[in-house]
Amino acid sequence: MIILGEKSKNDPSAVLYHRCTIDLDTQTITFEDLPCRNLEDVMGGIGRSFQVLAERKIENAYCRENPLIVNTGLLTGTSVMTGLRAYFSAYSPLKQSGKGLPAAMWSAGSGNFGNKLKWTGIDEVIFENCSRSPVYAVLREGELGPLVELIPADHLLGLSGHEKIMSLQKDYSNAHFAAIGPAGENYQSVYMGAVILSTDNQLKSGEPKNRFAGRGGMGSMMGYKNLLAIVAQSSDKPGKITPAMRDVNHDVLKNGGSARFQPVSQGGGGGTWANIEVLQAFHAVPMNNFRPKGNDDVEQQFRDHVEKDFEVVSEGCYRCGIRCHNNLFNRNPDGSRGPLAAKYDFEPLILFGSNLGLYDAAQTCELIHLCDQLGMDAISLGATLSYVLDYNERHPEKPLFNGATFGQFDAIRALMEETGRGEREEIGKGVKRLSEQLGETSYAVHVKGLELPAYLPETNPGYIFAIAGGHMSMGTHMLLAKEGKCSVEEWVQVITTQGLLQVGYDMLGLCKFVGVGMGHDLIDRATREATGLEFTSAEIVAAVRRAYLRGLALELRQGFEDAEYTLPAQIIDSPNPNVTLPNFITAEFIAQLKLRVWSVFLPEMEGLLPDLD
Amino acid sequence: MQVTVKLVASFRLKWFKEATQDYPHGVEILDIVNEIGIPVNELGIVLINGHHASLKDKLQDGDTVSLMPLIGGG
Repeated sequence: MIILGEKSKNDPSAVLYHRCTIDLDTQTITFEDLPCRNLEDVMGGIGRSFQVLAERKIENAYCRENPLIVNTGLLTGTSVMTGLRAYFSAYSPLKQSGKGLPAAMWSAGSGNFGNKLKWTGIDEVIFENCSRSPVYAVLREGELGPLVELIPADHLLGLSGHEKIMSLQKDYSNAHFAAIGPAGENYQSVYMGAVILSTDNQLKSGEPKNRFAGRGGMGSMMGYKNLLAIVAQSSDKPGKITPAMRDVNHDVLKNGGSARFQPVSQGGGGGTWANIEVLQAFHAVPMNNFRPKGNDDVEQQFRDHVEKDFEVVSEGCYRCGIRCHNNLFNRNPDGSRGPLAAKYDFEPLILFGSNLGLYDAAQTCELIHLCDQLGMDAISLGATLSYVLDYNERHPEKPLFNGATFGQFDAIRALMEETGRGEREEIGKGVKRLSEQLGETSYAVHVKGLELPAYLPETNPGYIFAIAGGHMSMGTHMLLAKEGKCSVEEWVQVITTQGLLQVGYDMLGLCKFVGVGMGHDLIDRATREATGLEFTSAEIVAAVRRAYLRGLALELRQGFEDAEYTLPAQIIDSPNPNVTLPNFITAEFIAQLKLRVWSVFLPEMEGLLPDLD
Repeated sequence: MQVTVKLVASFRLKWFKEATQDYPHGVEILDIVNEIGIPVNELGIVLINGHHASLKDKLQDGDTVSLMPLIGGG
C-alpha cells in the first residue's frame, strides 16, 4: 500500500492499494494503484472484496464473470502479532439463496501466505475467467515491482494440498503457498473445497501442518478456475518493532481475550479445546448431529483423557505468541514423539468426533487428517455427514449411500473419502441441498445454506444474522453459556452492536483470537503504529459496521428471503431436554428478533450497494 | 453450612474437580474464588445450582457453585 504523505492521516483517499488482475483465460496481467474509496477499502479483506463483488451481478458461482479475489488486511505482514491473514472472496458455490443465486462469501486463513503476498507488493489479486488447462500462479517481488507468471500445473493434479505445497517448495524457495486438494479439483461435485495454506512449520518439518481458508467453497472456486495453487515469493519484510509496537504486542498477548487460548502450562485455557469441558457442563456439546444425549460420552475427548494416548503440543502461527492450537502426535513404542496425528481443535474434533457418534481420539484424528488431505471445509463436511448419519438412523429401511450411521467409523471414513474424490456429490454439495432433495430439512443444521460450526443452534440466535455461517461473522456463539442471555431485548442489542463487529477481524488481517472488540483501544493503537494512519475507534467501528451491512444487503440482493433467516426447525419443533441451558428460542422469539433487528439494519443498508441496473 | 464447588476445564486441572466443605453463613462466591486462588480475571462463567450468578452473590446451605474459565474462539 502507498500512503500519500501530503494528505491527512485519516483520509482514506490518501491510501493507494496495489491490485493485480489476472485473466486466466487470456493470461493477461495488469497492475493498478487504486485510491481507497472509504475506510473499508483501507482496512482491506472483505471490506474491500465485498465492494468488488457488489459491482457484479452473478447468477451462478461457476460462471466466468465470478471473480476470485485474494487479498490481505491492512495489518497483514506488519509487526502486529497475529497479522497473518489472507482472504479469499467470491460468489460461493455452496451458499445459495432459495432463489438459486449464489451468495457473496469469503474465507480467511493464517499461515505465512498472507505475509508473503503482501511482501510481494500486491495487496489484492483478482482472478478473472478460467484457465483452459491447470495452472498455478506465481506472484513474486521484482526490482521494479511485483512480477506474475502462470505456469502449467498438470503435474500437481490429484495431489493433496499438502503434497502440492511440498512439491512447489522444491522449486520456490523463500515462498509460501495456497493450494487446493482433490476436493477443489472435483469442484463440480464438491462445493465445499477449501484453500490450503502453508506454514513455516509445515515447510520445515514436512508435516501437514497447514492452515485452511475453508468456508464457502473458495477452494472449489479455485478448482473451477483451473487454478491449482498460488505461490507468493518474496523476502521477509516484517515491520520495525518500535517500543510502542512492543507494547501493542504485549497487550495482544496479555489481554484477557487472547490469554484464554494459551496452553494450560502457561496459565491459559488450552486453546479452543477447553470449550468442550465448559459446554459439557451444560450438556451443550454437539453429539449425533447437534443433538446432545445428556450423558458423559464426550468426556473421552477431554484433554487429559486424550493425553493418555497422544502427545499434545501447543503451537502458534508464525511470530505469534498465542500458542492456540494443539497438535496431537502419535507416540512411538519407546514413548518418544511419533508422527503428527492431527491438529486437534474444537470444530474438527467435535464435528468429526462426538457429532458423528465417535469418541475415540485416534479415529477423530484420522478423519481430521483425511479431510485436510482432501481439502474440504471441516465444518461443512462434518455437518453434512452428521445429517446423513441421522437420516440413516431415522430410515433404517431405506438408508442413504453405504448405510452409515452414528459411531460407524469405517463407513463414515468411506463416505468422507468418496466425497473428497468427487464420488458423492449429494454430500459434497452441502446439507441444504441434500436435505431439500430428501424432503427432510428440519434437522439439517445450516443457516442460509452454510453449515453451522460446533455450537448448538439453540444456543445462538445470532446465527440468523451471521453472513458467513456462524461465529466467523457474528460473535455471539458462546453468549448463552457465558452470560445466560435469553431475552429478545438482549439478543437484539448484542446482534446489532458488538456481535456484527466480529467481521472487523476479516478486514484488518488480524486473528480473532486477539479477542478484543473492534472498538478497543488496542486495535487503533496497532493500526496507528503499523501504518501511521490515524483512524479513531469510532471510525473503525463504523467502517466494520458498513462492511457487515453491505454483506447483509448483498444477501438480500442475491434473493435470500425472510423465511431463510431462521434456525433449523428441529430446535423449535422438538427442543432437546438434555441441554441444561435455558430453552428460549421459539417461533415467536425468532419473529420478534427479526422484526427488531431488521428495523435497525434495513435503514442503514440503504445506499451501501451500487445500482447495477 | 455446606457448599459444593465444582471446577471445570483448566481450573479442574490446576486445582480440583469437586469439593464439598463448610463455609460461614453469608459467604460470597468471591470469597471462595479467593480462597482457592483462582485469579478473578481468568473467571469466565459462574453458576449457582446451574444458574448464572455473579461473584458477589451470597450462598446458601446446600448450594453448588460451578466455576469455569474464560472461553471463546471456534
